[in-house]
Amino acid sequence: MSLEVAVFSLLALVSVLGALGVVLARNPVHSAIGLVLSFLNVAAIYLVARAEFLAVVQVIVYAGAIIVLVVFVTMLVHPDDLPEFHGRRSLRLVTGLVLGAALLAEVAAAVLARGVRGAPGPWTDEVVAAVGGNTRALGQVLYVDYTLGIQLTALLLLAATIAAIALARPEAISDRVAAARRVLTISLAHPRGLDQPELPLALPGTQDGRVKAAGGGRPIVLARSADEFTEQPAWGEWRGR
Amino acid sequence: MSELSATHFLLLSAALFIIGMVGVLTRRNVLVIFMCIELMLNAVNVSLIGFAWELHQLTGQVFALFVIAIAAAEAVVGLGIVMALTRRTDTVDIDELRQLRE
Repeated sequence: MSLEVAVFSLLALVSVLGALGVVLARNPVHSAIGLVLSFLNVAAIYLVARAEFLAVVQVIVYAGAIIVLVVFVTMLVHPDDLPEFHGRRSLRLVTGLVLGAALLAEVAAAVLARGVRGAPGPWTDEVVAAVGGNTRALGQVLYVDYTLGIQLTALLLLAATIAAIALARPEAISDRVAAARRVLTISLAHPRGLDQPELPLALPGTQDGRVKAAGGGRPIVLARSADEFTEQPAWGEWRGR
Repeated sequence: MSELSATHFLLLSAALFIIGMVGVLTRRNVLVIFMCIELMLNAVNVSLIGFAWELHQLTGQVFALFVIAIAAAEAVVGLGIVMALTRRTDTVDIDELRQLRE
């Protein structure tokens, strides 16, 4: 076994262990750490395959940018309400493991039985070195043969940026409607203060049986004036449009 | 198997891809499923670079570069969707997010 194979096997083993950590860890932050481990070892494997530029891009984009995004979002979503603590779905677990084992066996058999090989291309190590290294050679191929692809990728990144801004923008109208649905507002001074027209307009009490039924379990808010009523995120405000 | 060949890269790629696939199938947390999808995209890159190395071609590396760019775009949009979902429904459990189905 040559030194190259030994180095590759060590890196591959650690990256597979990191990937297993992503799947097995209960806490999403531990999953993210496993993902970083896997990505960094894959970057080192790119160095073994003499793809230096891609190794650097892997570290910057995957292990840097994407992981930072994942950890930020992990902080923004609920810290303590992790779904895996509410019991696992055993049927799904068995199905996933059986499917995974079957597919792994199939793909490994296909890879090991691989017979036909393509003709080697022109970019041997000497040619790459003569051009001036991996990055220059990659640039030549990229900007001569794949110019259209590069421009389409630029457009895609722009579209993704705009989509992310639109998705993450706070205080959409739908959020206000959802907030208004959580309370039943009754204004004591407003002629149309009640958002349930079937209720009587006489001063209702919060303990009144019909009012409680109309509230449907929502908290009931009694507002003193019309101004206070309009400042509440009222259900009627949305329904009037 | 004593010399390094594309077979090694392909086996590693298959292992990483299938670990990611099992994660997508079995986990319930949207964020972890998202990380497993990243793992699968990365596994594809390993096989592309393995072929590029064996065949003395740079096309595989060019395609891996495109895959990385698209994975970045996917990460941005995917995490934006996760943020919007948690803001509206207060959960990251994939079993409770079934508004599209009902």
